[in-house]
Amino acid sequence: MTLKSYDQLSSLELDTLKEIGSIGTGNAATSLSALIGKPVRIQQPEVRIMEYNEAIEWIGGPEEITAGVLVGMSNQLSGIMLSVQQLDFVNLVLESMMEKRIADYMELGEMERSALTEVGNIMISTFINALSGLAGLDIELTVPAFTVDMQGAIMAVPMAEYGGQSNYIMTIGGNFICNGKEIPCRLLLSPDIRSLNFLLRKLGVNSGE
Amino acid sequence: MENKITVGIADMKMAQAHGMLITYALGSCIGICLYDQRIKLAALIHIMLPLNMEPGRKNTMKYADTGIRETLKMMESKGASRSRITAKIAGGAKMFEVSGGNLGNIGQRNIESVHMHLKREGIQLLKEDVGGSVARTLLFDPASGMACIRSYGRPEMII
Repeated sequence: MTLKSYDQLSSLELDTLKEIGSIGTGNAATSLSALIGKPVRIQQPEVRIMEYNEAIEWIGGPEEITAGVLVGMSNQLSGIMLSVQQLDFVNLVLESMMEKRIADYMELGEMERSALTEVGNIMISTFINALSGLAGLDIELTVPAFTVDMQGAIMAVPMAEYGGQSNYIMTIGGNFICNGKEIPCRLLLSPDIRSLNFLLRKLGVNSGE
Repeated sequence: MENKITVGIADMKMAQAHGMLITYALGSCIGICLYDQRIKLAALIHIMLPLNMEPGRKNTMKYADTGIRETLKMMESKGASRSRITAKIAGGAKMFEVSGGNLGNIGQRNIESVHMHLKREGIQLLKEDVGGSVARTLLFDPASGMACIRSYGRPEMII
């Protein structure tokens, strides 16, 4: 069956996406570990299909300030991938790479912003590389874009982009564990519906039409 | 804050004379405050996209065109008069500056659509704070008709 909305995914399809999320996040964690010079483990990633307002509550409320790195995907898979970097994650990166801590995002200078952009970009690229290798897909990525603002508005970017197709948003993501501490680094993969169908077909779990 | 009435994404709430309408973190989305000063009836819509092209035109409040039209009807059925209803809007930002790729500027298209549909319905747009690259939380007070906008790294604004 061809999916028309994210909430129509079967449990087999969800399991497949969870596996993709697991492999992608694992690769992203390895690249993060190399960048900061510390071991990084991952928690079992989640695949979540959520209604908009539910998704924003899930990530911790709309007005909370966060950093976000966005990369657009095109070619055989179109969609958006986001790295939502909450303060604990930002400090993990800044401490390891620049021996610096911040208490507020206002303290981010040009150097720090570009370090965070690059870390987000590398994690997203390794995730997508793993995905494209697994499914045999050609995926082109845009240059990363960075912003610091309310996380509700950052989350709304993939929602609005694919909002004409569905009232739900699909997110695949997981948390990292570093130094025995849980770091809420959320990598969110949001393919458009057509690409999601194509991906599932390529992976052999959606027979299509 | 007394009696906060939260408007979600793709949602609309009305209030008359009391309470405070609020919608959080408008990025490319737009918050539209419609207000009849005489009877102090206010509606706040949080739209996400410019045009409703869904079969059956469901999810009216997700889109600028059907959201404005439906809300005006509902306000009129509560005694508001079309000729007195005015509007204030906020939102329509571009959260990420992405070069290349096929990501459209939804914020800008939302602004244009809201302008066009307010005009088409004969509603006067009193004030706006739109565009740019900053997220906005919008509050509307039905008692005074004042709107307040909160953003990160910018002083609060009254429109």
